[in-house]
Amino acid sequence: MSDRPNREDLENEVSSRHLAMTVDEAEKLAGYVDRMPTPLEFHLFDTMWSEHCSYKSSKPVLKTLPTDSPGVVIGPGEDAGVVSFCNHDGVEWDLVVAHESHNHPSQVLPVEGAATGIGGIVRDVYCMGARVTGSMDLLRFGDPLGKKGETTRGIVRGVVEGIWKYGNALGVPNMGGDTEFHPGYDDNCLVNVVAFGMVPHDRIVHSFVPEEAHREPYVLILTGKPTDSTGFGGATFASADLDGEQGIGSVQVADPFLKRVLSEANQAVLDLLFGKDIKFGFKDLGAGGIACVTSELAAHGGLGIDVDLDAVPVSMENLPPEVIACSETQERYGLAVPAAVVDEVLSVYNDRFELPRLFPNCRAAVIGKFNSKPVYNVVCRGQNAAATPINYITEGVVYQRKEHAVNCGAPEPAERPCNPRENLTKILTSLSGCSRNHIWSYYDSEVQGVTRFRPGEADSCVSVPVEGSRAGLAVSGDGNPWYGELDPFLGGAHSVGEAVRNVVATGATPICATDCLNFGSPEDPEAFWQFKQAVTGITEACNALGFSGGDYPLPVVSGNVSFYNQSKGGKSIPPSPIVAVFGKIHDHRKATDIVLRKQGNAVLLVGTRKDELGGSLFYRTCLGHHGGTVPVFRGSLEKKMADWVLGVIHDGKARSVHDISGGGLAVAAAEMALASRTLGIQFSLDSNPVTLFSETPGYLMEVDPDFVENVTLPEFVSVAGRVSAGCSVSGNGWEVDLNSLRKQWSDKLASVIWREEGV
Amino acid sequence: MPCAAVIRFPGSNCEFETARVLRNSGIDSRIYNWNEIGRLSDNKADAYVLPGGFSFQDRIRAGVIASRENIMDFVFEEAMNGKPVLGICNGAQVLIESGLVPGWKPGSVQGALAGNLAPGRSGYLSRWVYLKPGKEAVAKCPWLSALEGDAFPLPIAHAEGRFVFREEDMDKVKSHIGLTYCTPDGSAADGWPDNPNGSVLNIAALMNAEGNVLAMMPHPERSYHLWQVPPDMQGFWGDKRRNSSLKDIEEQPGPGAIIFKGLAKYLGVK
Repeated sequence: MSDRPNREDLENEVSSRHLAMTVDEAEKLAGYVDRMPTPLEFHLFDTMWSEHCSYKSSKPVLKTLPTDSPGVVIGPGEDAGVVSFCNHDGVEWDLVVAHESHNHPSQVLPVEGAATGIGGIVRDVYCMGARVTGSMDLLRFGDPLGKKGETTRGIVRGVVEGIWKYGNALGVPNMGGDTEFHPGYDDNCLVNVVAFGMVPHDRIVHSFVPEEAHREPYVLILTGKPTDSTGFGGATFASADLDGEQGIGSVQVADPFLKRVLSEANQAVLDLLFGKDIKFGFKDLGAGGIACVTSELAAHGGLGIDVDLDAVPVSMENLPPEVIACSETQERYGLAVPAAVVDEVLSVYNDRFELPRLFPNCRAAVIGKFNSKPVYNVVCRGQNAAATPINYITEGVVYQRKEHAVNCGAPEPAERPCNPRENLTKILTSLSGCSRNHIWSYYDSEVQGVTRFRPGEADSCVSVPVEGSRAGLAVSGDGNPWYGELDPFLGGAHSVGEAVRNVVATGATPICATDCLNFGSPEDPEAFWQFKQAVTGITEACNALGFSGGDYPLPVVSGNVSFYNQSKGGKSIPPSPIVAVFGKIHDHRKATDIVLRKQGNAVLLVGTRKDELGGSLFYRTCLGHHGGTVPVFRGSLEKKMADWVLGVIHDGKARSVHDISGGGLAVAAAEMALASRTLGIQFSLDSNPVTLFSETPGYLMEVDPDFVENVTLPEFVSVAGRVSAGCSVSGNGWEVDLNSLRKQWSDKLASVIWREEGV
Repeated sequence: MPCAAVIRFPGSNCEFETARVLRNSGIDSRIYNWNEIGRLSDNKADAYVLPGGFSFQDRIRAGVIASRENIMDFVFEEAMNGKPVLGICNGAQVLIESGLVPGWKPGSVQGALAGNLAPGRSGYLSRWVYLKPGKEAVAKCPWLSALEGDAFPLPIAHAEGRFVFREEDMDKVKSHIGLTYCTPDGSAADGWPDNPNGSVLNIAALMNAEGNVLAMMPHPERSYHLWQVPPDMQGFWGDKRRNSSLKDIEEQPGPGAIIFKGLAKYLGVK
């Protein structure tokens, strides 16, 4: 007999438990269990059906992203994407990449929010069996000097502090990333995090209980920090509008120290299991905590599970079952192993690495048994806390959202006065154009001893992650909010384009991409339209910029969608597709940086300048205007330019290379000169705003003088000038001495945001 | 082949690259966990390295809990027997807290590594700095024995690297100086930024009276290869890095290799 609850009772449960699920969804759940759901079931499904976990609005759109390429080992779907990287000494090494946002927590509690951002994303890479070899933060803040400047400056400082306090202790080199300021983020900053690592191909670990569990007893071991109530409702929090201080309790508390010890203990356990040729499943605890990890490990392996919450090590007494099961306490992993090896595995964690000694109640413990009955069964203090047909848990929900085009057309400025010296000075000493060095100086980007280029030395950070191999890994993350605002399609396309150029400029061939799509509410048709436009832009750019031969695209192998990013008044943030591109250079010795090498060398301009300054640094900082004409995305030309640049670098002919993006050719040249300290660039070009400041994609490349005589340059390459003595950039009738600007350029961020001078 | 023990505490995070560069220098190396005093005392080693990281989460003070671990009793004994001991960054903090450096009263803490002092900023600083050896360092300290006295760069990455001592000990400290911060041309640092943390007497590394124990804040294990030197570095090493051929950039040692080369020479590696 059914005792299905009525709609009103469900409505009460949803509102009294602060669930994000709709009453319709609650009814669906009640139908699944054929009774009033237990509190644990409510919270479990609330998490699983949250936008954050279910991609319920975005899934149909994300399907268009290209994911197929010969190098892809694991595309989107598991905790991280995997592509093949290099073969060294008989071992096939794969690259594991993951990309996520931690926006809402960072707005509310910047230090903890940014810290757990790294914490969560590195777990996704670790749990594929990899060692994490790098992380990167892509940051978008409000205007530090605007109406909410004081709050914004506090958030910037807090986020940077969270990143260094967590990331440095973890022992994962921070590969920088980018930072942009835009008033559209005043109420809702973006903290996007990328992590990546290396794993031997035959040691990739999957996040489901293996086949073998159908034939022999398998159990679930929970290891790591004892469970507390922190982060209860975290995924739901990430999937709703940000409203004042609400949600503070949903922010998790990170512990990089435990994470570091755990990651070594995990490696030792993996060694043990691989050494015995034992099949196992491994998954980190993120959104939805124990409830998600236990149900997903079981469901994706086609089994059911009995979970005993009384066996869970806790650090607080009398927690209700739904809190034990669904809190998002950090630094925990779940491991599905045969019952026969339990003692050995527990001993690695609890004896060899002494978890119980390092943190009260921290230990590995068996908390569940897999079985062939397809039910998710949870008991707590002798009571049934959940009994749910397990396939429903992972089934998910999908919504078709409405879209409505936004009119983005904006006028160009009526006049464009240009004084190269004044303009360049103003751009380089603006918050948008100044150096990000101060932020990077807090990050440890050299731990592990594999870093080839640190942030700022080249267009992308490069590391040499496989011991003994010359293979270099380049990574860059990009996304221009001003382009996104004027044209979300081009915002998406240029995010890919710029990240590709940054990787190519170091000599690395792009092998895969990840994306984090940050937008307003999917229930707002205009925000949803922006989202779809941006995804279309990314798709088009990835289809044009594949480097695996044939018609293969640049595959998007992992990513994340973050909706509900908006101001207190409900205005969406600027459409913010942020893309990370990973590249490989076969021989890292050939990798190129942005430091000019020799006076008299020729400077080539790759990519003819076009009159398309919409959203440019020049318009914004010098004319106080946003303009309207964003650079066109020319996919086949981008690809041709990249191929040509890679060819010159691989031939060993490029001395230094810098991509042209924000600030145009003049700023690219200034950054090269600033990096080289004693050299500069003298241009033989017209000094007009289009030539100097248009952000038409391209590159500047330094080559020996005879290169130009011996090589036929393609039509998109021209000689733009030569390397001159002294740290300056000059052109027809103008010169900017950069050494005199160096202090302001490198100190601007610190003076405004950290020392609050003149604010 | 001589063997070095790299001792890992909970929270250490530079153990692998430290073990790797020791091996590359012709010294076998093994990583020991903090609770493996038995295995370590059975095997012994010819030298001991305490790597960088955040042992025991820097609880109480950086390095203090690790310095009280049983395994440090064994390291202490070996240091007293004259075996070379190197503490890098957090390892240096452990050596100071264990009273091995400066070691006036072995076992009693005679100095501290305090929080960085720099104008307008606090907390962590990650950057390359220039260094030169102290007067008695090259002759006394196996780790510094291959230095030639010229300024050389190494990276630092710490929040607590400011050497401080009691006023009355300041004179005594001078003969314990392993490395000092300096300008790219080798003149003494005159405050920030060449002295990155406000360390007294510009001290970047400090040794015991015998010179076999060295506590250094910079990271030689991250600057072992020429390709690890930043391309925008000033001075001799920057020029060398920028002008190197493909062959050289891979095969030439970076400035940090000098520290391990010194040890290798001391241990008789050919």
